[in-house]
Amino acid sequence: MSKLELSGVSKTYGATVALRRGDLSVEAGEVHVLVGSNGSGKSTLCKIVAGSVKPDGGRVAIDGEPVAIGGPKASKAKGIGIFYQELSLAAHRTVEENICLADMPVTAGLFVDRKALSKRAEKYIALFETVSGDDFAAETVVGNLRADQRQLVEIMKTLATEAPILIFDEPTSALDRAQAERFFEILGDLKAEGRSIIFISHRMDEIFAVGDRVTVMRDGETVGTRILAETEPTAVIQLMVGSKDDLAEAAVNPPDAAERSGTPVLEVSGFSGPGFRDISFSVAAGEILGFGGLHGQGQSAVLRSLFGAEPYGGGRISLEGTPVHYSNPRDAILLGMAYVSGDRGRDGIVNGRPIFENVVPVHFLRNGLKIVQPKVLKKRVDPALDALRTKYASLWQAINSLSGGNQQKVVIARWLVDQPTVLLLDDPTKGVDLSAKSDLFALIRELAREGMGIVLYSSEDAELLNNADRILVFNQGRVTRELTGADRTRFNLYHAAYEAAS
Amino acid sequence: MSATETTPVKTSSVLAVLRQPLLIAIVLIGVLLAFGEALSPGFASGEQILRLLVVASLLGLVAAGQNLVILAGREGIDLSVGGIVSLSAIVAGNVMSGQDASIPLAILACVATGALFGFLNGVGVTVMRIPPLVMTLGMLGVLQGLLVVIRQGIPSGKAAPALADFVAKPFLFGLPGTIWLWVAVGLFMAFLLRRTVFGQRVYAIGSNEHAAFMAGVPVKRMRVAVFTFSGIFAAIAGLCLLGYSGSSFSNVGEQYMVPSIIAVVFGGTPLAGGKGGYTGTMAGAVLLTILQSILTTVNIDESGRQMIYGATLLVLMLFYGRGRRMRG
Repeated sequence: MSKLELSGVSKTYGATVALRRGDLSVEAGEVHVLVGSNGSGKSTLCKIVAGSVKPDGGRVAIDGEPVAIGGPKASKAKGIGIFYQELSLAAHRTVEENICLADMPVTAGLFVDRKALSKRAEKYIALFETVSGDDFAAETVVGNLRADQRQLVEIMKTLATEAPILIFDEPTSALDRAQAERFFEILGDLKAEGRSIIFISHRMDEIFAVGDRVTVMRDGETVGTRILAETEPTAVIQLMVGSKDDLAEAAVNPPDAAERSGTPVLEVSGFSGPGFRDISFSVAAGEILGFGGLHGQGQSAVLRSLFGAEPYGGGRISLEGTPVHYSNPRDAILLGMAYVSGDRGRDGIVNGRPIFENVVPVHFLRNGLKIVQPKVLKKRVDPALDALRTKYASLWQAINSLSGGNQQKVVIARWLVDQPTVLLLDDPTKGVDLSAKSDLFALIRELAREGMGIVLYSSEDAELLNNADRILVFNQGRVTRELTGADRTRFNLYHAAYEAAS
Repeated sequence: MSATETTPVKTSSVLAVLRQPLLIAIVLIGVLLAFGEALSPGFASGEQILRLLVVASLLGLVAAGQNLVILAGREGIDLSVGGIVSLSAIVAGNVMSGQDASIPLAILACVATGALFGFLNGVGVTVMRIPPLVMTLGMLGVLQGLLVVIRQGIPSGKAAPALADFVAKPFLFGLPGTIWLWVAVGLFMAFLLRRTVFGQRVYAIGSNEHAAFMAGVPVKRMRVAVFTFSGIFAAIAGLCLLGYSGSSFSNVGEQYMVPSIIAVVFGGTPLAGGKGGYTGTMAGAVLLTILQSILTTVNIDESGRQMIYGATLLVLMLFYGRGRRMRG
């Protein structure tokens, strides 16, 4: 009998199927690894176990007993402890307070029992004593800790639940090697105690070092479970990829490389900054260069720094063969750069203002305009919006009245009134409907044909494989692999993404 | 002028939303005038209304700068306007010393004073990252101290006869020069906000500063500029005030701080910025001036008026806060 068993669990949000059929069976005394690409449904599955998402169908059983997990409190009562990837610590509280936050020892039913609290926390702090650093103490305020130390506190907090079932969602992302190894030793001890551990990781070396079995998810379904000792990393990746290796027609036959000879429109070398190191690449006129890899491996950070929105530490940038220096988006725009963010609410739309005012700012800047002439500008704005097949009633309606996809089209149109030299796309289709996506990619290919250099980062692997002529795979802030021509397969992309960073 | 500072072309939906505050203000103006007339016959006579408009235009000038600062968002507010009005009135009064020939120089000195302190507010808010509320309140303290030092309690400075005539006597078509000046400022503001890149950038940084930054708007420069504008408008108001009262007396400008904010908010520009315009603010200024006049008629003293202003602002915030939630 399994400790935890999920069978045929599903969840849909409106028209989006987040989880089609999730099956998972975890034994007592086992480290069970859960893998799958972005959007494969593994985090939804974990949320169902944690009680923060209610499944639409399926069966969840603990110790063979069917259970309904009504909320985070209920899941705690059922003996489930979860490590949250998005840190859930109270920044102004001390390490020991955070460790015991979920279950504060109290005296007289009212007052926090400081002594009991310290004593309880002490045990978990001691576990990591050798690797937590000299400045780490029970009384340290969490906000003053380094990222890796905060992650250790999060782990301690999860351990402090003493739950028989523990879920760790990427617990080692900020840890150094010694810290991660200590954590794996502790996992081994927990296993020996008979606890069940669900472990989510994107590092093949980790997965094979600590896991007993692995369950692979793809497109919202559980596609298989393997015993790790009897399998190979490539076999796991093959399971994640499935049989389809989808290269669209355009991508199968990328424009002739000879057409793109000559000076690259964008050349970057030795580029370093917060979250990325020593990045070098060049983009030819007419080329769509893809940035791939797991989420948050430095792709966005590189693009933002390239646009001048974040400072960068070092490196050289050349535009059309000329070395350039700039430190803000304004100067980057004047040099012919354009940037479209996937986070349009923060970086893109000017809320509550008309569509017109959302399109024209870049045109004003690039042409040094001072006076607004709506009739003249309309002739420039309309074609830019039409190129993307934007649906709107009037240029003077507030941008908020449009759908997400059309809002993003308006933001993109901003860059098309005057054609830039380089277009940086930072996961531009996040939260955009399918038809808007296809309009967008058709336009991007068209822009490339006209000679623009395009850099595309997408968190959806299919988008990259279908649209990029060349893909740089990012892993922990570095480019670890370049995929060109027939090498641009889902398998190779995953393989490079899940490799241990060297 | 319509209430569509937001858009160069009118659309029914935008107009409907923005017309509301203006409509309310106009209706209230009528009601208050009728009420004043009932309290004291002659309150709403033509002559009296002209006098009210002159007073309102002084407030309106101050509110123009306040309006720009608030529109530009990020908790933009200028509490130092009163101090700038007082100081610039004194600077102008001392430079002209009752001589018509010195008027151009006085105007220059007065506007430069306002621009300087407005600029300093802007630098404090952007470069030193001091919240506008704190920065301009601190600046108000500095200005008040400066006034005491300069004046040493003795009234000084005298308006030139030509200035006094311009402000209060019929200037053109029977209307005093101040009213014409206000109309000109109204046209200027409408043009600035609707037809210039500067105006659109004010709205952009007031609505989503980060998106504006990512679209190449020079956010810091813009913020310094709106505070500088506020200083300049306050200085022009100070100049008119000098002409209106003949000489500059202590803290003449203080009465403008809260009313300038109320006029803006009442005119349909939320304190959060990003939308609204100056037309409504003008109506708000007229409304507040009539209210003030009624309060004087029924013998409510300055402290009582201050309390009523404060309460008005709170009620307005409540009203607009509710409105937004219902729309959302």
